[in-house]
Amino acid sequence: MNGEPSAGPGRSDLAALALTFFALGVTTNVIVLDRVGSVGLTIGAALIVNSATSEFAYVAVRDAGGSEWAAILAGWVVASRFGLFAVSLGARLRVGPAHRAAAAVMSFDPNVTLAVQQADPRGVVAVFWRVTAAMFAGWIIGTLVGAGLGNVLGDAERLGLDAVFPAALLAIIGNLLRRGDGALAAAVGGGLCVLLIPIAPAGVPIIASLAGAVVALGVREPAP
Amino acid sequence: MTWASVVFLAVGVWGQRLLGMFVGARVVGRVPALARLATLIPAAVVMAVIVQLTLGDGRSLTIDARLAGMAVAAVLVWRRAPFVAVVCAAAATTALVRALGG
Repeated sequence: MNGEPSAGPGRSDLAALALTFFALGVTTNVIVLDRVGSVGLTIGAALIVNSATSEFAYVAVRDAGGSEWAAILAGWVVASRFGLFAVSLGARLRVGPAHRAAAAVMSFDPNVTLAVQQADPRGVVAVFWRVTAAMFAGWIIGTLVGAGLGNVLGDAERLGLDAVFPAALLAIIGNLLRRGDGALAAAVGGGLCVLLIPIAPAGVPIIASLAGAVVALGVREPAP
Repeated sequence: MTWASVVFLAVGVWGQRLLGMFVGARVVGRVPALARLATLIPAAVVMAVIVQLTLGDGRSLTIDARLAGMAVAAVLVWRRAPFVAVVCAAAATTALVRALGG
């Protein structure tokens, strides 16, 4: 992922990504199972909602004493980032409507970010599905293990596992940060998020970061 | 959480993804001035998610062991270290700083 921008992720990158999503699957579903109490519902939620972020937002609002609808609304708001990823991916996809719909519902941070960095439209599709397969395999196995066997990883915080996903994301945008416009988009997006976390409801700081991308449109892309 | 909450959550999550793909992407794909949004949106939004996961604690900001882990990750990404090394070093640093009481 830190090699040449045109070379997609290699086999070891995909294996590490699968492990990252395995850890995410275990830790997320241990928390959800603790609140839900049913193994079937925990696994069903992981597969049907298809967004750990939304599940976390729902659980957080319910934990804080919020109503069912407030919790669902929070789940929707935090999922808006996946809508933005679908915009990015869709702008680069050259495939039919059924293929687009399938790609849309599988739009996550790593697969879209790595796919849209491919220059060739066929490379976009190939990298998207290759990364999706690795992520999803890790996520499903992690979900089954977390919901079925409980917390096999032990104390996730003691092991530093909460740093795994943000570190993986940073590696994934590494090449974008080397471009002037990408670095500006990230700086403005990240900065807005810092300013808004203490004052805006969950999910809003992430949506607002879209402004970083718009601001960076004004910067000319440097020649490679 | 009930099966009904799962269905309602899914409608919002799937719906926004399909809207992005079939409405948002169509606009961005047809206006040449907006084409670069395809790579700029991930740069901005992923960085915001990183900030949230590194500094966020519910609705407040906090500096703890995660920031040390991410600082190490940032140096490794800058030095073009392999993905596996970035992720493992971030977890190990965070765990170490936490064990030392950070």
